[in-house]
Amino acid sequence: MSGSAAAITNMARLLLHGVGSLLPRLSASHHLYTVTLLPHTLHRHFTYAATLLAERKYTEKHEWVAVEDNIGTIGITNYAQESLGDIVYAQLPEVDAEYEQMEECGALESVKAASELYSPVSGKVTAVNTAVEDQPSLINQSCYDEGWLFKLELTVPAEIDELMDEDAYKKFLKESEQ
Amino acid sequence: MASSIVYVQKLGRMRYLPTWEYQKIIAERVQKNVKCGKDPQHTLLLVEHQPVYTTGIREYEYSAEVETRLKATGADFHRTNRGGLITFHGPGQLIAYPIVHLKSFTSGIKWYVCALEQTIMHTLESLGVVGAHRSPHTGVWVGENKLCAIGIQGRHVTTHGLALNCNVDLQWYDHIVPCGLVDKGTTSISKELSRDVTVDEVEPYFLKSFSEIFQCQLIMIDKKIDEG
Repeated sequence: MSGSAAAITNMARLLLHGVGSLLPRLSASHHLYTVTLLPHTLHRHFTYAATLLAERKYTEKHEWVAVEDNIGTIGITNYAQESLGDIVYAQLPEVDAEYEQMEECGALESVKAASELYSPVSGKVTAVNTAVEDQPSLINQSCYDEGWLFKLELTVPAEIDELMDEDAYKKFLKESEQ
Repeated sequence: MASSIVYVQKLGRMRYLPTWEYQKIIAERVQKNVKCGKDPQHTLLLVEHQPVYTTGIREYEYSAEVETRLKATGADFHRTNRGGLITFHGPGQLIAYPIVHLKSFTSGIKWYVCALEQTIMHTLESLGVVGAHRSPHTGVWVGENKLCAIGIQGRHVTTHGLALNCNVDLQWYDHIVPCGLVDKGTTSISKELSRDVTVDEVEPYFLKSFSEIFQCQLIMIDKKIDEG
């Protein structure tokens, strides 16, 4: 595809789907991006605060949830995966199952111990990560990324506000160690 | 860390299912106590089961056919929510179900399982069993033979626990691949010491070791906890 055609395609994509469509998905905190469109006729730099990119919130059960378009992706934190040891089996919830906040929805097995999974927010399960069903060690290796566990459609979006942000969770961890 | 109190209850000979139901009642109570800021009332149940085969959460490994075959031996069969694969419980096996709030001791499942293994190692040492060792497969072994199986549930309040072979009839294990390990066997304290060693003989050594490893005070209680 030629340079100008590519630029026009990108602009169309940008207008239709927003900044997220052009950028790699990140689940970290805010970044600023500069996008240059239509290089020969119009030099405009759009700068977007990437609040479109999901921010992780945390529970006291050491699980995280990142919400985008009312769909929450859920996993366990690094503290949890370290505490559990090598995970050999993930018992994930069923798609379409509905849970209330902090309801038990599955289990992870490690060192002959089955540990409960909780739903950090109320919702209906839309997807489960079959990759971790096949390779549970992904949860240990990449608990915030490839080791995500399940997604659900939030039924009470306000619950997200009750959860801890990154700083609050770090503080919670420090206090727990004492 | 301040010494915790663990209440010990001897349940005698009991079938698997009612014992598991009882564990859940106690676990709920410990959970409630912790939530209300009360003394957790950690409880250690000691029991011997009627013959039973049980599976853990990876129960898909065992079909209905397997279940029928094992029930035909005269044993019960139950699919449970613990970790670990299939195992056998029966008379002559010391079973301990510590129902404890983990954070009151320290955090972490890994630590807890390790502490249980150390408790058994300590017990076996006191009894003069030689060659006992831990393993990446968990449990406590002598050579390639498993002497004590561990399978637990719960990252806040624990249920299920360990099964230490005292003078259990090892032939029950012939019907299964214990814990899914094809090239391993099972053994008992009696086999290792070449004499009959009963659960009653082992129990006090086990309790002493538990109290030392978990750094807790044990209080024996008689009455069963009511549901209310």
